[in-house]
Amino acid sequence: MRTIASFRKTLQAILILGFLGVFGLTKAKAQDDLLSILNEEQSKEPVYTMATFKASRLINGQSIETISKNHLNFWISHRFGAVNSGFVANFFGLDEAKIRLGLEYGLTDQWLIGAGRSSLDKTYDVYTKYKLFRQSNKFPVTVTGLAGWAINTMETGFAMQSGSEMRFNSNLERYSYWGQTLIARKVNEKLSFQVMPTFLHYNKVEDPSLANDLWALGVGGRYKLTKRFTLSGEYYHSFTDPGIYEATTGKSYPYHDAISIGVDIETGGHVFQLHFTNSRGMIENQFIGQTVGAWEKGDIFYGFNIARTFSFDKGAKHKDK
Amino acid sequence: MKSIINLFMLIFFLHVGEVYAQTLYGTTLGEVSLYSDTPIETIQAVNKKSGAILNSSNRELVVQMKITDFVFPNKLMQEHFNENYMESERYPTATFKGKIKEQVDLETPGTYPVTAEGSLTIHGVSKPVTVKGQVVSNGTELKLDFKFQVKPEEYQIEIPSLVITKIAELIDISGKMSLAKR
Repeated sequence: MRTIASFRKTLQAILILGFLGVFGLTKAKAQDDLLSILNEEQSKEPVYTMATFKASRLINGQSIETISKNHLNFWISHRFGAVNSGFVANFFGLDEAKIRLGLEYGLTDQWLIGAGRSSLDKTYDVYTKYKLFRQSNKFPVTVTGLAGWAINTMETGFAMQSGSEMRFNSNLERYSYWGQTLIARKVNEKLSFQVMPTFLHYNKVEDPSLANDLWALGVGGRYKLTKRFTLSGEYYHSFTDPGIYEATTGKSYPYHDAISIGVDIETGGHVFQLHFTNSRGMIENQFIGQTVGAWEKGDIFYGFNIARTFSFDKGAKHKDK
Repeated sequence: MKSIINLFMLIFFLHVGEVYAQTLYGTTLGEVSLYSDTPIETIQAVNKKSGAILNSSNRELVVQMKITDFVFPNKLMQEHFNENYMESERYPTATFKGKIKEQVDLETPGTYPVTAEGSLTIHGVSKPVTVKGQVVSNGTELKLDFKFQVKPEEYQIEIPSLVITKIAELIDISGKMSLAKR
């Protein structure tokens, strides 16, 4: 009898301990349970990827980035002379520069308009860029559409970068147009890639054997070395047929693919982009279709872009000065 | 044997009771603001999508928000906040897990000054914190108000020397949320 009673007591104790154990466990887990309820409620909204690239330009060309609503970007870009143009004669190209000044403004967080003026071929350009799709935890890439227009305001009969003479019979012939689809993916916090199928149209080309319409494909990317220092690269390949030009004129095809490499340095409201490129043009119709420099010949131009962002959003207080 | 069964039933119901008697109050639209003030720059941002859940039976409280939901008037600042300081891709959320210390019945309408004790996780670093605040209850809704300070350094948030004069050493965090009974 005694053994049964003690057995009963032991069983009782085990049961109590067991239940207390389960009871205790629920207690300890309660906060995590609350957290998992919260996680479930909060996970419904997509998390959009931000800062695929540091700036709205990769190097010469555009990136998928637009600027925020009511923000203004001021771009100052220089492309110096060829680095192989000599020390005494040209101080490795730094004696001269082609300059582009540009402004862009965010109409919405996804839509910007921009304009600029480039000293190369005295060209004005306007463009608009719209973010169609944004990369998020539910969509793999960001897709941005770009449309641009440029007018060349040189006197008719001027000598182009390629050496050819360009004659304009009407103002309409000074226009170029381009459209671009920019597709980018931020692979991780350091690495981003971009592809840019491009279509260009020149109302007038210097030689009838050159095509007025041009298809091109660009690829680019960036790799962040540190939080504020980024490596970047950009390559535009034009689908041209040099054969027709070479056969009719007897000269070698004057234009090359644009290849650029550089770094982005970010300091507060500024982004500094320093790079080497074989193109002195900073507008799509110039660098995609009419790059005369060739890397293999040493036609390399040192250049920089500086972007300064201003916010005109209400509530943005700046005490600097 | 009967007594064992009785005990079994008692514990079972106690246990089940504990789980089912809990009343949860929650929101996913709480407001949490951060404010940094130095002579050179004032920085403020607000997150209007902060989530919170409070269990009124044991006064356990969890608050969680996405870092990317903080909205700055200057979007470049917002990008830097996420990219350079909070590294929100690696550490997407800030979380408080804790408990209201005072033995108050929040289901009874009234105004209760409270203290929440628990751990705060920011930038992947967890620290024990005590947050003072106030709960105003009308039985079906709890209005939570709180204010405390955070030292970025303690959460291994690096601030480069170049901008050290623009960012306060102590950041004021304040919150305002209405938790509805569910």
